[in-house]
Amino acid sequence: MNSNLDKKENELDKSFISIFISTFTTIFIAELGDKTQIATLMLSAESGHPIIVFIGSSLALISSSVVGVLIGKWLSNKLSPNRFNFFTGLLMVLISLFLFYDLLENYI
Amino acid sequence: MILSLLLSTFITVFIAELGDKTQLATLTISGTSNKPLAVFLGSSSALVFASLLGALTGGSISSFVPEVILKSLASITFLIIGLRLFINSFTNEKDVDEEKM
Repeated sequence: MNSNLDKKENELDKSFISIFISTFTTIFIAELGDKTQIATLMLSAESGHPIIVFIGSSLALISSSVVGVLIGKWLSNKLSPNRFNFFTGLLMVLISLFLFYDLLENYI
Repeated sequence: MILSLLLSTFITVFIAELGDKTQLATLTISGTSNKPLAVFLGSSSALVFASLLGALTGGSISSFVPEVILKSLASITFLIIGLRLFINSFTNEKDVDEEKM
């Protein structure tokens, strides 16, 4: 029982930098070509103040990350790890299918 | 004028991002790791970098890399994360069952 707990703690205890890099990569890939970028682009083109638009959109994206992290932490405290993994896994697969459907509809 | 532009950009982008797939991915990663600060720094720097690239290129990356490729990449990434979580949720369940026995 104890050794099992230790094992689980080790699994969770991945290094700071590896979590940072895997999060960065995932979010970066998900964000490229997303609708936020298009909104930023439109605002930037309309206003003629690209720096202000960039600052505003960065602040908004940082705030939305905070919200995401906090909700994730809160949910993982409420649900058992298995249940959390199951539901978020389902969510991710659904998003993937939705993106795939979008691709099929628009490009094929 | 500048302040109102700043505010309107903030509100537009913030609302566009709420419940977006990026935020859901952040939520998922944050719930499965125990280092919220690393997740926050990784996710916000990726977002800022992506929007910097967008601002610098005067368009989105999709003017260089076809959108089909970007979307398939994103779709595959989400599929991999989802399947890994599914597998995790079932293998952990086995552990719990064994403990009960």
